[in-house]
Amino acid sequence: MMTKHNSRRTLAVLAALALPFSMAACSSGGSTPAASTGASGGSADNGSKLTMWVRSATDDFSTRLVAEYNKTHKNQVALTVIPNDNYLQKVGTAAGANQLPDILAADVVYSPNYTSQGLYVDISDRVAALSYADKLAPSHLAAGSWEGKLYAVPHKLDSSVMYYNKDLFKAAGLDPEKPPTTFDEVLTDARAITALGNGTYGFAIGGNCGGCGVYTMFPYAWAAGEDVLSADGKTATFDTPAFKEIFSLYKTMWDEKLVPANGKEEDGSTWQNAFIAGTIGIFPQGSPIAGDLLKQSTFDWGVTSLMAPDGSATSTFVGGDVAGITKSSKNVDAAWNFLEWTLSEDAQVEIIAKNGDLPGRLDLTGNKYTATDPRLKFIADGLVNGKTPFALPFGDLFNNPNGPWVAMMRGAIFGDNPDQAITDRQAKIQAGLDAANK
Amino acid sequence: MTRTLTPVAEPASRRPPRGSRSALSRRPLTGMLFVAPTALIVLVLFLIPLGILVFMSFTDYPLLASPTLNGIDNYLAIPKDDLFLGAIKFTLVYTAVTTVVIFLVSFVLVAISNSTRRFSKVYRTAYFLPYVVGTAAASLMWFINFDQVVGIYNELLLRVGLIKEPFAFLGSATPAFWSVIVMVVWKFVGFQVLILLVGLQSVPRELYEAAEIDGASRVQRLRYITVPYLTPTLALLLILSVTGSLLAFDQFLILTKGGPDNSTISLVYAIYNTAFQSFDLGRAAALSIVLLAALILLNGVQLRLLRRRDS
Amino acid sequence: MSTRTTVRSSTASVSFHLVSGALAIAFLFPLIWAVINSLKTPEEANQAPPTLFPHTFSLGNFQTLMTYGSGLPIYFWNSILVSGLTVVGTVVVCVLGGYGFARFDFWGKKQLFLAVVAILMVPYATILLPLYIMLGKLGLQNSLVGLSLVLIMFQLPFGTLMMRNSFESVPRELEEAALVDGCSNVGALRHISLRMVAPGVVTVSLFAFLASWNEFLAPLIFLNDASKFTLPIMLVNVRSGSYGAVDYGALQAGVVMAMVPALALYLVLQRYYVSGLLNGALKS
Repeated sequence: MMTKHNSRRTLAVLAALALPFSMAACSSGGSTPAASTGASGGSADNGSKLTMWVRSATDDFSTRLVAEYNKTHKNQVALTVIPNDNYLQKVGTAAGANQLPDILAADVVYSPNYTSQGLYVDISDRVAALSYADKLAPSHLAAGSWEGKLYAVPHKLDSSVMYYNKDLFKAAGLDPEKPPTTFDEVLTDARAITALGNGTYGFAIGGNCGGCGVYTMFPYAWAAGEDVLSADGKTATFDTPAFKEIFSLYKTMWDEKLVPANGKEEDGSTWQNAFIAGTIGIFPQGSPIAGDLLKQSTFDWGVTSLMAPDGSATSTFVGGDVAGITKSSKNVDAAWNFLEWTLSEDAQVEIIAKNGDLPGRLDLTGNKYTATDPRLKFIADGLVNGKTPFALPFGDLFNNPNGPWVAMMRGAIFGDNPDQAITDRQAKIQAGLDAANK
Repeated sequence: MTRTLTPVAEPASRRPPRGSRSALSRRPLTGMLFVAPTALIVLVLFLIPLGILVFMSFTDYPLLASPTLNGIDNYLAIPKDDLFLGAIKFTLVYTAVTTVVIFLVSFVLVAISNSTRRFSKVYRTAYFLPYVVGTAAASLMWFINFDQVVGIYNELLLRVGLIKEPFAFLGSATPAFWSVIVMVVWKFVGFQVLILLVGLQSVPRELYEAAEIDGASRVQRLRYITVPYLTPTLALLLILSVTGSLLAFDQFLILTKGGPDNSTISLVYAIYNTAFQSFDLGRAAALSIVLLAALILLNGVQLRLLRRRDS
Repeated sequence: MSTRTTVRSSTASVSFHLVSGALAIAFLFPLIWAVINSLKTPEEANQAPPTLFPHTFSLGNFQTLMTYGSGLPIYFWNSILVSGLTVVGTVVVCVLGGYGFARFDFWGKKQLFLAVVAILMVPYATILLPLYIMLGKLGLQNSLVGLSLVLIMFQLPFGTLMMRNSFESVPRELEEAALVDGCSNVGALRHISLRMVAPGVVTVSLFAFLASWNEFLAPLIFLNDASKFTLPIMLVNVRSGSYGAVDYGALQAGVVMAMVPALALYLVLQRYYVSGLLNGALKS
């Protein structure tokens, strides 16, 4: 069902990885300045001082990785965490002055902007030389590649799913072992849980948060077999039956007050608080909050997949970050040593998976840590069905709180004429894609 | 003669006659030495960067790639820029409302703060304190305080019984607009109060005493002593307030994100969006230059008007 | 007659304090609320609906900050360095400049003054990129000194106007007398005028401090190492997780931490606004 997720770009990259390593062989001496061709395959732990930037969403995750690397290597990485909202501005300013750090992480939906502008050094051959090259998360390889060359590897993976509160299910007389599998069931369950009263709600929406919408609503449409955005990022299709059903579900939730009243203003900053506090029945969100959920002990929770409206299939938004070596770096081999290490089984399992995060390698999704909690295993297994949308102006069209996607969401959920809202903004989104690809 | 900007600076009518140049003003070289540090900073950190900005405005400059010259295309595109044009009206309304409200509130607070009654120092400190919090932190605090579920304002109103259901402060255009105004007045009025107090310090107490002896009424004293002496301070505050509001940005970025439904997009927010959401630095530079020119023009007119009234 | 006046004035006094007090509480409320929330446990601080008073007092939110990133002390120290440099620089440049503008005529005065005022009018976010390029040429990228210079530049319009107004309200005759007595210009500035413009200097310092202490975007753009970051960047980092991860308690604790030095400074300096220092100096 979900075979389409390997976009054409991914296929191109995978093909490139499978090529004979002729280039790499020529420059293995390491004397060639790596940045000039990017083809040298060296990996050096020679006491270099490296710098790395990440956005604050991956703060704890990146700090753990870097701390462990610094403890076990001669190279030392200095990590700088930049607030999410200012990351592009910071990177943009520094790129203009060639002041980028050695290693730069990027949100997967923004990384095409970086790869297409040549911010990164080509690491196709270095990655191809890895024994597990074909096991790296394909969504992230796609995000890290441009025109057949690979510039970045998976840094952090996350995946959107549907959480539910088992205690509230029980209280509402629902079977806590039977999460909803279709939109009808989602709605019925949400009604039953809201009926409990006392400040509980069946569902929660981030009605003023473009990123929240993309992350949790695109997968419904993907599961229904729709592309939403074409693989080349040039065509948008929201004017579809699936999206009408998706928005109609959310509109019903809003009109019947099955969601907290702040759903209309929720810009993402307090979106998950209510679910973690135990007052929401069903909550589409991502793997990163699993850690918070494990820490709390006030209620029992379960997880299921985001489904097509009729329940015929499931899908997920594979988000997160990729990391690459920038053209400003004078220590390409040392920087690669760090990136290579982050992909090693040791780092992937003992640091990443141990803390409840998803590994960036598909061959490691089943590990001793996911084995202990079936919910984590469930989330990791779902990655196979995942997709990462691609569009050059993704941030401008979808994450931008003043962009056409937020307007579409709000028009279709809170407005009086959902169809009109969808048609109008569909045109705006398409115009934005056309302008960026002309 | 030497200045067109004088009204900002001096209570002209109370100064010794202009024609007689003092011993000090006849030493231009010494004067230049005093302003040399200012001039150096202005040149290196303002005028040259401004020049770079002007250059950028004539280029096609995607945030992450290098700029290529494209003539006046960026300026020609402005009349078709809906985001920016829409922001003009909103910003003007916002500026007018904020300025009027801040001035009115500040007069009340200055009257309290400048009083000789007990606790007036305490009150003054209270009014000023919000100013010490950074705009970013303040906006986020208010964003959460305004929230319908976790916010304290709704919780208090519900407990007191003033409302039955949580009110969506930021949910629709008009309440969101006024919510921003309340936050801005709370945050910035203390600044204005303090500057006015400093201005009041410069009024010689003897004048009041003499006026009292002459039997001048309170209103007369205000009209003929306080206001003339405060004019330069008021002019400074007016310029700061109008310019600051026309350039308002942080509070919208954090509190409303330009919403709900794009109802609170200010000019600088639109420029910021152009640069860092749409990656169009050239266009953003052109918009900045246009805005800068408009502000200089506006403030020039403002100063001329103030000066005419003053003389 | 006299009793009626007393009654009237005591009614006036009561209503004065009622109005002033109510306003004071309204202004202080969000700050008091921040203090209350910062003292809750992290869980309680994020609870909905909010509790009015902490059920359990806790310094957990402050501990979150202590161990965050390079640790609170580093960010605090960087902020103090940047603010200190900015305040000293602003005062020096603006006192000299204000005096020059108030007392002398010279070529280009009008133009320079206009340029200073124009700093106020340039959209902040867009001038940062050219400034970054300029600092690079000066070798001051990623440096606290470079950052302070930029912050001083942004303080120039207010500082210069403030100091010029202050000097102009001091009668020139006093200085001229000093000049006749054989003082140099700088001597005259130091001995006579500076004492009289003290409220202005205090005001300029206080606002330079607050602006640099709270500035977020400039340090973020001009500094590249986490070890050089200032308090506001840490605050924004703490509060921006991925979707829906604002740590409300830590944010409020950060606001409290940032507020304390600013508040202390204000309380120390505030007597300059009341005591009529200027008039006192004139009389003596």
